[in-house]
Amino acid sequence: MTAPAASPVGSADLGAFDQLLAPEAAPSSAPATGLELAPPPHDHLAPGWSEFSAGWQLGIYQDPVLCGILAGAVLGMLGVFVVLRRAVFVTAAISQSAGLGVVLAFALQIHLAIALPPVLGALLASLVATSLLALRSESLRRARESMVGFCYIGASAAAILVGDRIAQEAHDVAAILFGTAVLVRPIDLLLVAIVAAAAFAMVAVSYRGLVFVGFDPEGARVHGLPVRAIELSLWLLVAVTVSVTTRAIGALPVFAFAVLPALAALAVVERLGRALIAAALLGAAAGGLGYLAAFFLEFPVGAAQAALAVVWLVIALALGSLRTTLRARLRRPVAA
Amino acid sequence: MNGAPSPETELVSCRALEVGHAGAALLPPIDVAIRAGEFWAVIGRNGSGKTSWLRTLLGLLPPVKGRVLPQNAAIKFAYLPQKSAIDEHYPLLAREVVGMGAQRGWSFLGRERAASRAEVERALSEMGVTALADRPFRQLSEGQKQRVLMARIAASSADVAILDEPTSAMDAVAEREAFEHLGALRKRRPLAIVVVSHYLGLLREYADQALLLDRDTPAVVVGSVEQVFGHDAFQRRYGDDSCGSRVSA
Repeated sequence: MTAPAASPVGSADLGAFDQLLAPEAAPSSAPATGLELAPPPHDHLAPGWSEFSAGWQLGIYQDPVLCGILAGAVLGMLGVFVVLRRAVFVTAAISQSAGLGVVLAFALQIHLAIALPPVLGALLASLVATSLLALRSESLRRARESMVGFCYIGASAAAILVGDRIAQEAHDVAAILFGTAVLVRPIDLLLVAIVAAAAFAMVAVSYRGLVFVGFDPEGARVHGLPVRAIELSLWLLVAVTVSVTTRAIGALPVFAFAVLPALAALAVVERLGRALIAAALLGAAAGGLGYLAAFFLEFPVGAAQAALAVVWLVIALALGSLRTTLRARLRRPVAA
Repeated sequence: MNGAPSPETELVSCRALEVGHAGAALLPPIDVAIRAGEFWAVIGRNGSGKTSWLRTLLGLLPPVKGRVLPQNAAIKFAYLPQKSAIDEHYPLLAREVVGMGAQRGWSFLGRERAASRAEVERALSEMGVTALADRPFRQLSEGQKQRVLMARIAASSADVAILDEPTSAMDAVAEREAFEHLGALRKRRPLAIVVVSHYLGLLREYADQALLLDRDTPAVVVGSVEQVFGHDAFQRRYGDDSCGSRVSA
């Protein structure tokens, strides 16, 4: 039995887990966070199923695995709409804005004694950024990507500047902002589950409107659909989902789940409804299997989940290319 | 509308309507009344303000001055925009695109339901694209896409169908067939059709009303096809022998 990896960042929030994972109490190794300083011992043995099974029975791994699956599924599904709207970096800008919200919440508490929960600060900042990004290009006289750049760079710079004044809290800021997919607080799992349920319900209910508005916004408006409201609802849903899942599992896997499963699904599936299901399944698989891969191979969890999503995309692109080649051969006219 | 409008019912009108962008009018004021069953040809050079007028008529662009007056709030429009307005990357079957024609609500929970399969099949058949129904829209040729989008118009229960260069990517045979399909659609129900096209020969053959927009002169000429095609402004721009071929000036 090996000692667990170093405590994940955000130990202030995860104290109970730290205790559980103390060397004398830990049943097995936990996946690495990527932040460990000590090199692994030379006689280190990779953890096996028995360690994982023991940890699973103790309830250590169930929440992060379930959280990875839920986050992967919901982000994978929403990612299809994000990718089709050519707005993949919107999720990055929203995530960065959430970071600004966190540091602002800390700054308010430290300097003005105003108690604003950091997660609420992240959510508010995400919603403000989303409102900016949802403005029509015509009213801004700028392409949407200009606003994405503005939000991303502005939020990054502001977060660093404000964070510089709250250096003593940087440890907690990092934990709250980037979360850790190694261990997930029950409240974060609950929030991810609620957001996922809301997202699946919204897409199921308004699927026809989302498709029509994305495919032909002017035609949809002529048909009496509330185009602005539908677009804004989608982006607000993306903002809330990104904020909550970033807090739970970290920025890297969130960005990966919001882009790669959708790209993979769209590479092999030719119907939108099926692409949504395929992307959700691929995202869920990356979230769940990524955690297992991180455990057994002792990789950082978030990176392992993102890497698995990359693997899905590579396989999907290969399959898509193969299908195109085969179709071209089958359709090749035969000389008389 | 509640029930099909009878022929000659005025569906929508423009009163001293000035169209343009950022408060600058492109053309003199336009007065037009579109009635049920009419087939309107909108003629003009590229950049003459045709699309701006269509978009203003549809409420997609605010008027610079004047008003667009639908006869009542229940008048339903259908729109076939130019190619650039549609996101062709969406993984949709042609059948699903046609189904959007009958879609008026945005939710499965609303009173409005998705197009019934029978409506979609009939529209596909009317526009001669049944064979394309189960093919991905994004894999179709440009001409085929336009025919599918015309089937979307046919699937709609619209009172006014507005088509902005609906045949620009079609070959001559497909273009004529498309106009024949539109003509047949108008005969089946009192649908007002407004078409922007550069193919003056087909417009003269199928349309009964015309609107000439000339930003250079500037001029706006409204009337029957015979009146507009015989007008001095038209003759100056296109000459006598313009109706035998596509005019892309």
